[in-house]
Amino acid sequence: MISKISTGFMVGAVVLALGAGVAYAALAGDEAITARQACMKANGKMMGTLVPMIKGEKPYDAAAVKAALDGEGPACSKWAEFWPEDSKVGKAVKTRALDAIWTDPKGFEAAGNADYKAFTELAATTDEAGFKAKFPALGAACGGCHEKFRAPAP
Amino acid sequence: MSLYIFSKRKLGALALLAVSGLLVFWVASAPHPFVAADIPPHTANLENGKLFYNIGGCISCHASEADAAVPAGGKPFATPIGVLYPPNLTSDPKTGLGKWSNLDFVNAMQKGLHPDGAHLIPAFPYTSYANMNVDDVLDIKAYLDALPPVKNASKQHDVMALPIIRRGLGLWKWIGLNHAKFMADSKQSTSWNRGAYLVNGPGHCSECHTPRTIFMSSNTAKLFQGGPHPEGKGKVPSLRDLSGRGRYKDAKDLVLAFQNGEELGYDKMSSGGMGEVRKNISKLSESDIAAIAEYVMSLK
Repeated sequence: MISKISTGFMVGAVVLALGAGVAYAALAGDEAITARQACMKANGKMMGTLVPMIKGEKPYDAAAVKAALDGEGPACSKWAEFWPEDSKVGKAVKTRALDAIWTDPKGFEAAGNADYKAFTELAATTDEAGFKAKFPALGAACGGCHEKFRAPAP
Repeated sequence: MSLYIFSKRKLGALALLAVSGLLVFWVASAPHPFVAADIPPHTANLENGKLFYNIGGCISCHASEADAAVPAGGKPFATPIGVLYPPNLTSDPKTGLGKWSNLDFVNAMQKGLHPDGAHLIPAFPYTSYANMNVDDVLDIKAYLDALPPVKNASKQHDVMALPIIRRGLGLWKWIGLNHAKFMADSKQSTSWNRGAYLVNGPGHCSECHTPRTIFMSSNTAKLFQGGPHPEGKGKVPSLRDLSGRGRYKDAKDLVLAFQNGEELGYDKMSSGGMGEVRKNISKLSESDIAAIAEYVMSLK
């Protein structure tokens, strides 16, 4: 009898913990804003490595390119969770996200997909010619989002 | 009884005051268009017209909903006073500018007047275009005339009390519209002066990059110091001391930013409508872009 109760209790606890786990995993509010800003920071850091090579200020370095692209990944892995409805306006943090993200979800998704595609294609390059050919599309994809879905700086 | 007479007199005085007030308003807000003799004879230069069409950014507001590269108008433009529907600039005689004379066009571009005498809403930046050389204005018309006509009837603006606002603009023009033509500064280089002309005249950069006074006229004491964004969120950045503030290293850096934007990692020209502006500027010749950059980087 006791063991039955304790089993039931344990199952219940596991279910509760799982539920809490799921709730915890989905980003909300300021948390989502902070997470996507960390992703953008990582993007900026990556660009800090790539842009000097594109401009010819630094020599092309395949290993450094790969490290920069790989380094961006973790901060942006939860992209799909970055944009809950309750993160339009920050409570304690500020956001430059425009309402268009939520009023034009198709356009926003397309802009995100363009970025993902350009990123993947750039990551597949192995030499300087490929890198220089594929970089502009990634830059343009950044712009595609910043033009329509990001407010000017405060 | 005496009270009755007093109030009748008072009413009469009030009516007189109102009528004379309306009269002053009507006279002071009247349009003052150019007349035919003001417009010089002109030989069209289509290449020059295209250049000024691009630096003027006409397409950014006058794009059609069907084709973003055709200035047939109609794409809604949200402003603080309501939604505007910029008109059709193609040469269609019924719905576009096909029937406009050179005089009509210059009056619109530099006096902010419709051929029927109505004041145009200054979301159309005639306040900057007023500084342009008439020849450049007329070349824009020639360029528009040469584009294929597109039938697209202009929609009524969605603005409260529009006729009253329009007439009131006649008053506003006394402070908001400066007819002084661009004057070259002989102490500066030719390219600097070219840049100053492109920025302050057709480029109308000051319309957003200079804050406004409480009368919504350009606050020239704070020229290019930036200000609130006209669409609300965020700010329009200052154009002063761009190198000292670490925005661009030098004029060359700014040229690359204008030409490439984020394709070369320049992410400061994308948001708030500047992405569109940058694309228009990128269509200019390298020497014109360099002239703009030289002038802008010299703003301290």
